[in-house]
Amino acid sequence: MIRHLLVLSTAAALFAAAACSKPAAAPAAPAHPNLSGSWVRPLGDREVGGLPPVNEIPLTPWAAAKFKAERPAAGENQDFANTTDPSLRYADPNGYPRISLHPMRFKLIQTDDYVYQLWEYNQNWRQIALNVPPDPDPALTWYGNAVGKWEGDTLVVDSVGYKDSTWLDARGLPHTQDLHIVERIHRVGESLAFDITFEDPGAFTKPWTAHLIFKPAPDGSMTENIYTISDELRFRERFLQQKPAIPIRR
Amino acid sequence: MRSRVSCVVAGTVAALLVCTPALAHHGAASIYDMTKETTIKATVTEYVWTNPHVELGISLRGGTTTELLLELGSPPNIRNRGWTSRTVKAGDAVTVTFHPGLRGAKIGVVIKLVTADGKELHA
Repeated sequence: MIRHLLVLSTAAALFAAAACSKPAAAPAAPAHPNLSGSWVRPLGDREVGGLPPVNEIPLTPWAAAKFKAERPAAGENQDFANTTDPSLRYADPNGYPRISLHPMRFKLIQTDDYVYQLWEYNQNWRQIALNVPPDPDPALTWYGNAVGKWEGDTLVVDSVGYKDSTWLDARGLPHTQDLHIVERIHRVGESLAFDITFEDPGAFTKPWTAHLIFKPAPDGSMTENIYTISDELRFRERFLQQKPAIPIRR
Repeated sequence: MRSRVSCVVAGTVAALLVCTPALAHHGAASIYDMTKETTIKATVTEYVWTNPHVELGISLRGGTTTELLLELGSPPNIRNRGWTSRTVKAGDAVTVTFHPGLRGAKIGVVIKLVTADGKELHA
């Protein structure tokens, strides 16, 4: 009898030990792809896309006239010395999507309820709130009010609430406060694609699209690159012999 | 001194694309003659890691006074091409290729720099 009990208890102990050593179940596959990482649009890379030529953008008469009157610091009609670019004249933030058009890095940080986009340029950032309704009366801001949701492997970002003083790109492409941007962000191989639709009845006669491709940055570090009006005026003093109109840091 | 300077007119669009300086803050054509390239041996007088563009001063006579002021890309852009804040320093001998300023302005935008030990960096 005692022997039987001993055998049974030994078997039970072995069974329990075997059960405990059973490997844990594999974690469930993530519901969505992880877009987190460091991304860059390398300068001169023909594959990275950009906003289309201006003559392919359906500008309203107001937008066409405003665009014609601007003096950009780059592009076809560049006039750096006398530019009207608000980011150069006033050190205004670039706004969106202009800030993503620099050949510089940004990071995406993805959490369960937000995606954060951190740009190397000027250390600016935006947040994309996930799975919440759009704000019906958003404040006007430099980088807009963005909400996002997943459609399969694509993060769809809907944003409004943009100040109308920013340019959409360095060429001087205008928009109004009614700008509505829808982005479909998804991976293409190792790269990250942003398919962007612009809608703004005051500036565009119909919606139009742009496709931007970002490549993995070679490393995760970001370099400080903060634009100040003092640095800009100093540069102009040295390279253009323009006398600063205001006192600058020396 | 003139014999140390060689000017080359860029021959093809492809060459221009390869040599495109990393400027994000302003276009170059309204300040520099992008159809010309100048290659020169010089001494660094200043190297300033700053925004909106890194600045490189050079002397053609081995002095300490800046005779030509050259710009490079913004710090992140040229960092992506291998530059650091310590790539060169005042007193270094370099060979630098650049697009010269329009109308004889003593400025330029760097295309390429070769350090004294032969390291070649594109701006």
